[in-house]
Amino acid sequence: MQSFDTQHVGKVIDFLRNGRKADDVSLEDVMGLAELMAQSLQSYFKTFDVAIYRELGAMAEEISAMKRELSELQLADMRHQRIPEAGLELDAIVEATEAATNTIMTAAEAIMSAVPADADGYQQTVNDRIVEIFEACSFQDITGQRISKVVRTLGHLESRITTLVERLKIMQITDAPREETPEERRQRELILHGPQLSGEGVTQTDIDAYF
Amino acid sequence: MALDTSIPVLVVDDYKTMIRIIRNLLKQLGFEDVDEAADGTEALGKMRERKYGLVISDWNMEPMTGYELLKQVRADTGLAKTPFIMVTAESKTENVIAAKKAGVNNYIVKPFNAQTLKGKIEAVFGD
Repeated sequence: MQSFDTQHVGKVIDFLRNGRKADDVSLEDVMGLAELMAQSLQSYFKTFDVAIYRELGAMAEEISAMKRELSELQLADMRHQRIPEAGLELDAIVEATEAATNTIMTAAEAIMSAVPADADGYQQTVNDRIVEIFEACSFQDITGQRISKVVRTLGHLESRITTLVERLKIMQITDAPREETPEERRQRELILHGPQLSGEGVTQTDIDAYF
Repeated sequence: MALDTSIPVLVVDDYKTMIRIIRNLLKQLGFEDVDEAADGTEALGKMRERKYGLVISDWNMEPMTGYELLKQVRADTGLAKTPFIMVTAESKTENVIAAKKAGVNNYIVKPFNAQTLKGKIEAVFGD
């Protein structure tokens, strides 16, 4: 018993004393502690029950394997690289569509205000502005490529979250009740759903039936 | 009866490009006196300073939405009779019903075309 206290529990105590606070405990810490405890207690339980000893050995191995698998998910890469990059791509898409829209609208406004009485000048204005509109429409190619990159990132994210959920068996844990945030409350009370996908929501013809 | 295009119109939208689109479509229809506001609060302030013949408003804006603006307009005896058209991407049935209950005169779902805008304005004024 003396041997167990000094040699094995000592490691656990050292781990817990290593500057850890209750609100600063990561999943890695918990797994580390579990692994350490499983290893430490093996020799203790070996003295009176081989079955428990084997069970603890299996648990320690499983925890090590899970740590390896989690590292293979490259979650840090997702958080620090891919997700911020996707955000930048979306910002660039907004900027590009806004710039193209402005160019197209400026050209259309110029055509709208051109004077038809001056036939030559009118023809020149229309031709020049139509070329500008064609040029501005090229934004679709670039934004299409950017959107594809964002979609790929979302695919990676979905795949890794799914793997994480499977590895940690998270779906076996019931979601804790959560309070509605002020933003969610505003959206609910003011009926803010945002644009609907094609086929969802009502059409203009459906709406007209109400008026 | 021809549409009275001399009435002042207030377009309320937080997206400048949409204001520009609606302003140009209104111009094509003959409306020259078009004012703008970026949300319900600004619109309400302008409506209390000037009498508008028509309000065309988006729904989803901050801090005051078009839905809140509509309810405030209908609750204000001085503004209550102002024709109000909602132009929005909010296309769920509950949005349309809520707007109708709050007293909206017509409802256009984005994206829309010039003919739809013209038709709804004419419907509001009984043409």
